[in-house]
Amino acid sequence: MWNPAKSVILSSICTKIAIGLVIIAAIAMPKLVSSYVMYTGKNTEVIQSLLLTIYACAVPGLVSLFCLDKLLANIRRGEVFIEKNIKLLRALSWCSFAVSVILFISGFYYILFVVIAICAAFLGLILRVIKNVFEQALIIKEENDFTI
Amino acid sequence: MIVVNLDVMMAKRKISAGELAEKIGITPANLSILKNNKAKAIRFSTLEAICRVLDCQPGDILEYVEEKEEGEGKDE
Repeated sequence: MWNPAKSVILSSICTKIAIGLVIIAAIAMPKLVSSYVMYTGKNTEVIQSLLLTIYACAVPGLVSLFCLDKLLANIRRGEVFIEKNIKLLRALSWCSFAVSVILFISGFYYILFVVIAICAAFLGLILRVIKNVFEQALIIKEENDFTI
Repeated sequence: MIVVNLDVMMAKRKISAGELAEKIGITPANLSILKNNKAKAIRFSTLEAICRVLDCQPGDILEYVEEKEEGEGKDE
């Protein structure tokens, strides 16, 4: 029978798979980018810039995934509305904004990155609102815990 | 601030914390929070149970004390 505990386990597995994929992709990226440039017939000078953008985004991306993994581990332990999770959500939000800034700058040589930058900024904003909700929930939880 | 004087009443009635917690139906950990003035609020049902078990009035347990200003009361 499907339940919230199994759902969290599935999310945790997906996060771990994503971490693995990002690491593998980071290792294979020079070859992948070269193949992409060859396939699309773009100027080979763009390879360096593309790699720089991808690796710059991979850092906050991996940090986000590790934060997500920690967040899910806390949820699995039944620790949902805790200070640690608020810090993790804040980190997730800032990582999204960091990716957004990197992609926005990269938009100067590849315009499509601007679209992804807007999406990342929007995601960062959503995460920030969720963090705010968690902060309020923590206050309510503490109030409830100390009501005897 | 509101101070919970549960210790005094418990001593008067010669009742242990464990026994009181059991009789009013809360955990010893929660009774400890109440006794140590860490609680943020008290339910009427809990207060009622305490008053019933200790045979007292809410005023015997709860007391209003003027909060000291920051830095006041220090020896320096």
